[in-house]
Amino acid sequence: MDYILQGFREAINLLITLDREVLRIVLLSIIVSTSATVFASIISIPIGVYLGIKKFKGKRLFSRITYTMMSIPSVIVGLVVAIILSRRGPFGFLDMLYTPKAMIIAQTLLVMPLNFGLTYGLSKSRGEAIEKVAFTLGANKWQSVVLIIRELNVDILVNIATAFSRAISEVGAVMIVGGNIKGHTRVITTTISMMNSMGDYPMAIALGLVLLLISFVIHSIIYSYSQED
Amino acid sequence: MEIRIENLEKYYGERKILDIKELTIEKGKITGITGPNGCGKTTLLNIIAGLDKEYIGKITYDGAKLDRNIINNMTTVFQKPYLFKRTVYENIEYPLKIRGINKSEMNTLILNTIKSLEVENLKDKKAHLLSGGESQKIALARALVFRPQLLLLDEPTSNIDPESIEVLEREILRFNEETGGTVVIVTHNLEQSKRLAHRIIEM
Repeated sequence: MDYILQGFREAINLLITLDREVLRIVLLSIIVSTSATVFASIISIPIGVYLGIKKFKGKRLFSRITYTMMSIPSVIVGLVVAIILSRRGPFGFLDMLYTPKAMIIAQTLLVMPLNFGLTYGLSKSRGEAIEKVAFTLGANKWQSVVLIIRELNVDILVNIATAFSRAISEVGAVMIVGGNIKGHTRVITTTISMMNSMGDYPMAIALGLVLLLISFVIHSIIYSYSQED
Repeated sequence: MEIRIENLEKYYGERKILDIKELTIEKGKITGITGPNGCGKTTLLNIIAGLDKEYIGKITYDGAKLDRNIINNMTTVFQKPYLFKRTVYENIEYPLKIRGINKSEMNTLILNTIKSLEVENLKDKKAHLLSGGESQKIALARALVFRPQLLLLDEPTSNIDPESIEVLEREILRFNEETGGTVVIVTHNLEQSKRLAHRIIEM
């Protein structure tokens, strides 16, 4: 029991003294996961809303595939990105493997199906009524998509937060494509995983607390926004 | 806008909902469509509005097939209107905004419309939080503000208070008289059809 309490004490100390190593890791985690969530959202939200309201052949099968892709394992995404970016891969000339850019690409591909699936499902269930009104008022398809995004903004924000939570808490993809290089590609989850295997708990606990804090802050902001709305 | 319907058939599965050999809705007139529940009144309105495209037959609008220009010149008010999660003003502003009307003209049109419908006091209120009667007035204001050539109304006064019904009926009549816009009103209320319509179609 003592080593756990000791671990917590040292973790709090690391956070209070704003340990440079901890700060660097936290900052990189936030940059990588925020960028990935933003890129994924820009692509998946308009397309998700559009396809959600569009009637097309095979929509049922498409929905099933979409929902399956939402739970794609992060190591698979990491592996695919690593193969593509590896020196012998089709994009090897970009020399991006083991860089934060590769981590952003991997996390974008990881959270895109999740963000897309959630938005698509939301638009399929609630977008039709909005589109119907938009159509009768003279809006074209893309004006309807914009209107649906505005009308369902709180739900879409919750979807974005869910995608961000997945990005910042995953370890498989960033470990494979980032390599957990100290001072370069080390992020919260890869550090926790490494510290745990080394038995160095204070740093792991400190980063775990930061991870919880980030999640708390994001969801508090969304909660207060939804209350205002 | 004149609407001509020829050999219209609509099925839900095996069940035939609509079978209209020929029907003309006259330009500039108010046409009431009445009938019991389930006779296909709303389905017909949705087909005319372009919301339901799965039917057999031919519909023309001033002799032309439904296109973007026609869609831009008609609108529908539903029995349970969906108002955007914005202010009343912004709701009424929407159809003008997507038509690229300039700000000052837009403001004049909106203020005139809300004055006619006696909802000036609601201008800055969140529209989705209004009562049934108020919501229906805002939905009608949003439909009338851009002066459509064809106004389609689906049970616009069901479940609302008598004062609101009076205002809505007055504004529908005024719209028809002042702009010459064609109005199609679907209602199970025969008395209302008699009060408003130049012609009543019983289904």
